[in-house]
Amino acid sequence: MSNEKKSFDFAPRTLGAGLVHKKDLILALLLVAFGSFMYYEAGKFPAAPLVLGDTLNADVFPKMLVVLLIFLVAIIPFEFKITPEKIDKIDKDRGDKTPLITWMTIALLFTIVLLAEFLGSFLTMFTICLTVPLMWGEKRYVAVALYAIIFPICVFLLFNKVLGLYFNPGLLEMFIK
Amino acid sequence: MDDIIRGFGLLLEFQNIALIFGGVLVGVLVGALPGLSSPMAIALLMPFTISLDPVASISMMAALYCAGTFGGSITAILINAPGAPPAVATALDGYQMAKNGEPGRALGLAAMASVIGGIFAIIIFLFATPLLAEIALKFGPVEYFGLSLFALSMLAAMSGKSSIRNLIAGVLGVLVSTVGVHLATGVERFDFGIEELSEGIKFVPVLIGLFAMSELLTQSKTLNAAVERMTAKALKLPTWKELKSLKGVILRSSGLGTFIGILPAEGSTVAAMMGYNEAKRWSKTPEKFGTGHAEGIVGPEAANNAAAGGAMVPTLALGIPGSGTTALILAALVMHGFRPGPYLITETPHLVYAIFGAMLFANFAFLGIGLAGARFFSYVTFIPKRFLWPSVFVFSLIGSYAYSSAIFDVWVMLLSGIIGYFALKNGFSPAPFVMGLILGKMVEETFTQSMVIYDSNFMNFFDSGVFNIFVLLTVISLTTPFWGKIKQLITGKKSESVF
Repeated sequence: MSNEKKSFDFAPRTLGAGLVHKKDLILALLLVAFGSFMYYEAGKFPAAPLVLGDTLNADVFPKMLVVLLIFLVAIIPFEFKITPEKIDKIDKDRGDKTPLITWMTIALLFTIVLLAEFLGSFLTMFTICLTVPLMWGEKRYVAVALYAIIFPICVFLLFNKVLGLYFNPGLLEMFIK
Repeated sequence: MDDIIRGFGLLLEFQNIALIFGGVLVGVLVGALPGLSSPMAIALLMPFTISLDPVASISMMAALYCAGTFGGSITAILINAPGAPPAVATALDGYQMAKNGEPGRALGLAAMASVIGGIFAIIIFLFATPLLAEIALKFGPVEYFGLSLFALSMLAAMSGKSSIRNLIAGVLGVLVSTVGVHLATGVERFDFGIEELSEGIKFVPVLIGLFAMSELLTQSKTLNAAVERMTAKALKLPTWKELKSLKGVILRSSGLGTFIGILPAEGSTVAAMMGYNEAKRWSKTPEKFGTGHAEGIVGPEAANNAAAGGAMVPTLALGIPGSGTTALILAALVMHGFRPGPYLITETPHLVYAIFGAMLFANFAFLGIGLAGARFFSYVTFIPKRFLWPSVFVFSLIGSYAYSSAIFDVWVMLLSGIIGYFALKNGFSPAPFVMGLILGKMVEETFTQSMVIYDSNFMNFFDSGVFNIFVLLTVISLTTPFWGKIKQLITGKKSESVF
């Protein structure tokens, strides 16, 4: 395969005359920002008391890791030149936009965890078993209702009654001792 | 000898046998279900085993690990959907053989090769673990630091989408392990004023998030994916004659798989791929590969199960995980108060032999389960995703909460899952991160101790011959992924490897 063909293939996803991979550059910048933040935070750690002698300060190891991280991250934008087949596969995966259903699932999971302490363990399980299948387009409503009732009861009996795990009663406090 | 008898004796208790058998059943089941995996099952089970007998819990996880590797091949053969990554290579010829009207034979060959590979590795495990532990007992902090560096460098060669990304994930894992109180100075690091972070980030919620939640989000994209299923017939074991004709492939793959398993970080997936490639390379009929050839099934199957046994060797003898799944078993050992590494076999030898017994039992048990229930396991793939994955979320929620009854851990689990999902999309695998997270404390501890011993001069580390060997091995493992490329540049020929 000629070099011309290769550069044509990479053109839409690269910057700087096909030298830098666009998405990987953004990824690398994000990781560098994270690393820099950790480095800055590590710089604020107090020094070890003199009584500890030669012991290394708490910031040395994290700072070394950040330097190593940034060194490795610097390779990412050019990785498509080293192992093009592998980056092609990654590009295929991230080429598809995260669908709405995944974002909605994330939002639902967040809401459920936010309400978990208030609802209590049993009602949280019930809510998960009821809302997730419905959000994911399940049309067999009777099956969903049965699943939402039977599955949490089975889990409750197994983990609370058999294995003795504590279940926060939450809203059902008056019913569950 | 007394320790072997004591270890095996522990397994004979009814509760322990039941747990190990349960582990095998769960292992085959999660192995057979695409999306579910043995690391995920171990991560989910881990918090529930706190109240159980530690030896039985760890043995159950080891049995689950063995069975999960085999379980993945059932769906790889019957529906061309490998239930677990190590079964990808099995699907190439297994599914073709099933399509050619011999699904029972394909399953039988896979089961038999798995059992032989598994037993081969367990025998090596029995002899190699005490031997390796004895050598490791002579190591000081600097040698251990060299060893952990080598283990982390092996992440570059680990199966995944990119070597560099594996290394980055490993470094991030080590960095996250520094959160919490620094043991040498008592300084609280990266806690950002959050009380829960001063104890460090707990393994269990992170593991559940990375393995279970990120997969749940991935599955939410493929809710309507159609699956083509072969007519599932009973498993048909190979005849003695057929087995004899395949003995070379099986033994070679078993040896290869065990060796790859023993290497830090390299697990069943790499072993299966190499097992397939080597079976093809040594075959008299390589042109038949990909058309339903028996050698194409037994090669990867013997290798991937042997790797599962082999991976336990560095995990138990050195405290260095042999694969992503054994990293979780290592975390479970720590959770149960054991001291992974060479002291494990000197302080609690019965545990090591109990694990050995459990894995041996698992190999025979999954053959029996495969014989009796191959048909059933091919049907479990038809559990609707819309009901399966909410159940996984319920277990994730309970598992992360049960660990220390703190809602903070549930948030850690959820956030790890979301980060894991986007990381996966960008080519980062969870296993290297987990390896880094688990090895992190050891890396820092041995580095700090070594610096104190060698007057804070890193260059003095090279006074140790063993450290130099590990540095050399580190350099080799870091450059291995690029050898093929270099060879290709020199010779102008592309590698014939299928993977």
